[in-house]
Amino acid sequence: MKINVMTDVLEANDRIAAANSEVFKKHRNLVLNLMSSPGAGKTTLLEKTAEALKGKLRLGVIAGDIETTRDAERLQKYRLPVVQLTTGSACHLDANMVASALPHIDLSKLDILIIENVGNLVCPAEFKLGEDFKIMMLSVTEGDEKPLKYPLMFRESALLLINKIDLLKYTNFNLEEVKANARKVHPALEIIDISCTAGRGISEWIEWISQRYHKKFGIKTRA
Amino acid sequence: MHEMAIARNIVNIAITAAEKEGAKKITRVNVVAGELRGIIPAQLIFSFGLMAENTIASGAYLDLEITPLIGKCKQCGEVFVVKDYCYVCPKCRGEDIQTVSGIELRVKDIEVE
Repeated sequence: MKINVMTDVLEANDRIAAANSEVFKKHRNLVLNLMSSPGAGKTTLLEKTAEALKGKLRLGVIAGDIETTRDAERLQKYRLPVVQLTTGSACHLDANMVASALPHIDLSKLDILIIENVGNLVCPAEFKLGEDFKIMMLSVTEGDEKPLKYPLMFRESALLLINKIDLLKYTNFNLEEVKANARKVHPALEIIDISCTAGRGISEWIEWISQRYHKKFGIKTRA
Repeated sequence: MHEMAIARNIVNIAITAAEKEGAKKITRVNVVAGELRGIIPAQLIFSFGLMAENTIASGAYLDLEITPLIGKCKQCGEVFVVKDYCYVCPKCRGEDIQTVSGIELRVKDIEVE
C-alpha cells in the first residue's frame, strides 16, 4: 500500500524555529545567525562587536561549539550574557538546541542576539533557528572557490563578511572573483570587507546591525 | 554530515505516517531533494539505513529523486535551469529570480505492508 506523505523533512525544525522567532519578536530582539568555516574569525568578530556596540545596543550571544566552552570563556570579559551550547558530535545548531538555550538568557534585557553557529559551511545553512538574518563569514585564507562549492549558504545569507582582508596580499585569494561568484549565486547579497584584528570594516558592520534593528522595530537606540 | 540529521527526520516522518494508517512495516520511502540541498545520496542512504534500524522502517528502500535547480525571472517571466548556481535570467539579465524547484526536501510518499 502506498501512503501519500508530502511532508517537509525539516518541518519539525522549522516549526520550532517559528516559535523561537515569536519569542524574539516579543522581547524585541534582532537575531543574527552567524555561520562560517572553523577559524574564519567568528569569535573575534563577536569580541569586536561587543566592544563597538557598548552603550548603543545590548548584545547577547548563544555560542555553538562541538566540545569546548572556549568561545564562551573568551567572551566573558565583555560582560555579555553568553550561553554556550555544546553540540556533542552535531555539526550544526538546530532550532531545538537554540530553544533549549533561551531559558538561560534574559532576552528582555537584549536588543541584539547573535547565534554563533558551529564552524561548517554545509550543514548550518539547512537549519532555521528563528533568526532574522543569516550572516556568513568567509576569510581570505580559505580560498576563493567557496561560493560555487557551498551555494546554499551564500544563497541563504543576507550579508557576507569577508574577513582577514589585511592578509589579502599574502594569499592568492581573488577578491573580485569571490564577490562576482557570490553575487551570481545571490545577486542581492550584501558584502562587507573586514579585518577583525586590524579593525577594518567593523564600523560598517555595526551600522548594518543598527540599521536592521531600527528597521525591524522602527525605533531609535536607547543610547 | 547533515545527512544524518536529515535521515533521522525522514525516518521519523515515515514512521509517523505509517503508524497513522496502522501499517506494520515500511518497505520504501520516496524522497524528493533539490539540487541546492547538496545532499550526497550515498551518505543519506547509509545514514537512513542506520537510523531505520530496530524500527518498522528497518530494511526499507530509500529512493532519492534529485530535482534540478529551476528559476523564474520575476522581471520577464522566463523559466530556466539555473546552471552553476548562476541566478541571472538568460533572457533579460534580470537578477530577481524566484526558485521554482531545486530547494525542496520532502518525503513524497511511502510504501507499507
